[in-house]
Amino acid sequence: MHMADALLSPAVSAVMTAASIGSIAYSVAKLKKEDESGLSLAGHGESKIPVMGVMGAFVFAAQMINFTIPATGSSGHIGGGILLAAMLGPYAALLTISAVLIIQCLFFADGGLMALGCNIFNMGVYACFVAYPFIFKPMVKRCLSAGRITAASIVSVVVGLQIGALSVVLETMLSGVTELPFSTFVLLMQPIHLAIGVGEGIITAAVLCFVLQMRPDLLDFADHSGTAQRERRGALSFGRTLLVLLALAALIGGGLSLYASAYPDGLEWSMEKTAGTTELERTGSAYETAAMIQERTAFMPDYDFKSAGEDGSTFGTTTAGIVGGAMTLLLACAAGAIVAVFKRHGGKNVSA
Amino acid sequence: MCRHDSAFSDAVAGLNTLELCAEGNTLVHRLHPLVKMAVTTIYVAVVISFGRYEIAALLPYFFYPAILIPLSETPGKILLRRLLPALPFSLFGGLSNVFFDHTPMILLEGFVISGGVVSFISIMIKTVLSVSAILLLVSTTDMAVLSRQLAAMGVPGVLVLQLTLTYRYLAVLVDETGTMFSSYMLRSPETRGVRMRDMGTFIGVLLLRSIGRAERVYDAMKCRGFNGVYPASSTCRPTASDLLCLFIVCGIIILPRCLL
Repeated sequence: MHMADALLSPAVSAVMTAASIGSIAYSVAKLKKEDESGLSLAGHGESKIPVMGVMGAFVFAAQMINFTIPATGSSGHIGGGILLAAMLGPYAALLTISAVLIIQCLFFADGGLMALGCNIFNMGVYACFVAYPFIFKPMVKRCLSAGRITAASIVSVVVGLQIGALSVVLETMLSGVTELPFSTFVLLMQPIHLAIGVGEGIITAAVLCFVLQMRPDLLDFADHSGTAQRERRGALSFGRTLLVLLALAALIGGGLSLYASAYPDGLEWSMEKTAGTTELERTGSAYETAAMIQERTAFMPDYDFKSAGEDGSTFGTTTAGIVGGAMTLLLACAAGAIVAVFKRHGGKNVSA
Repeated sequence: MCRHDSAFSDAVAGLNTLELCAEGNTLVHRLHPLVKMAVTTIYVAVVISFGRYEIAALLPYFFYPAILIPLSETPGKILLRRLLPALPFSLFGGLSNVFFDHTPMILLEGFVISGGVVSFISIMIKTVLSVSAILLLVSTTDMAVLSRQLAAMGVPGVLVLQLTLTYRYLAVLVDETGTMFSSYMLRSPETRGVRMRDMGTFIGVLLLRSIGRAERVYDAMKCRGFNGVYPASSTCRPTASDLLCLFIVCGIIILPRCLL
């Protein structure tokens, strides 16, 4: 679900970056407040920060383990949003996910620099600030049981991923770079992430149940005063969990298909529509002198052969494009080669 | 097993190789990190700001990686390998244009190339350019230097510390995961990966081991006087030549965007 720079417009990128910076700033402020009031990481007190660092690396490492999906030839891996929120709390979890996404972007080219805001929002904010506090926590609030944790994990991961996937579609559509129709994109993204969400939800639940057994003090949602009711009563059965998931799938699939329509591309030709032309007139002696120099030196003026008439020729224009492109790339390579030669000679001189 | 093992070793090797590259002492390495960060951000923003059917105007931007790779002595092979993970999403978005956008764009001796093909090429060029720029930034700037610069720019200390610690622990935990995975696969040679029913225990054990390690490291940090605050060592200010370089390079990057 990592978005790339090439499919985003600067406007969408700027808005999402601002939104993510706002969410991070809010999380930092809340963490500071928690720290001042002594409400640090569940059972960890002051050691929250190093645990956050290790948890970030842990999510990264855990994402490298692909699980085999039974009865299929496919595999998947965990995303970690809900798992982090359940361990660290939503604010620390958002910072941890942000750090993971920044490192993935910088060192593994997984998601773009301009798309970082979108990726933090799609994979971090929805999981930490929507799915965890509004779905996961209320579901496990009454009693802590394996069934409830399982149901809460699956539903919250699925919802978080569905909103995130829909966000990817909307951000891509609003950028106007791809021609993929909105309805097709939604129908491709949502079901895939529904399946991934169920798989990730089950694994998240298994990990949380394991931690609940081994180190319950590490969980954010567990009652650390020791009054937690670990009763089986009221726990959601597997059948009920499935029913919730089916209802959710029907809601998302049916609901979205009603609104699915081809999204109009309004950004690309905005200049032509507002100005009435795509070229701006330039006057003045500087422009005229520059134009004269350009005319004399241009290999193919107006992207055509010099001998072509006023109307030009399609062949000439196309050839000019290809020749110009090839020349640019050759020049770029030549520039690189010259720099490399100079560097080599410079190195030899220094060593001599 | 081999496929997964190589994924783990690749991840660790990837981190190490980029870290080793960042230890160089070329002209690019010596530039102030603020200059490199600003130039990279502006370069990527300018590249993605071009229209969807733009190819020719993007080509001059190949000069940036073409000059910077030899200048910074960054091995092109490493950059090429790091580029690959960035391609699938762009490929998906770009290929959809080939199928859905049939606007005739270029006529080549009677052969029509659709707008979809043109925009697909444009998307792929943008991907290669933007990812190369980011990789060149991290292959010429040490992570600790980047973190210090972020802190100096006012990024909250807790986020900077988080970034530094995550990066530092990454190789250790990926290595540990690789060891655990190898042990699992040796015990279950007939499986392709970790079975779903074992995932909870497997990841849970990894999690508890990680937290145990964090607690031990934190105790050691406290013994050395760590008080929860990232030590903000003084970052030197950019020199006049750094600023001159920033303005010249940014001008060269922005100028073609204004003219083309």
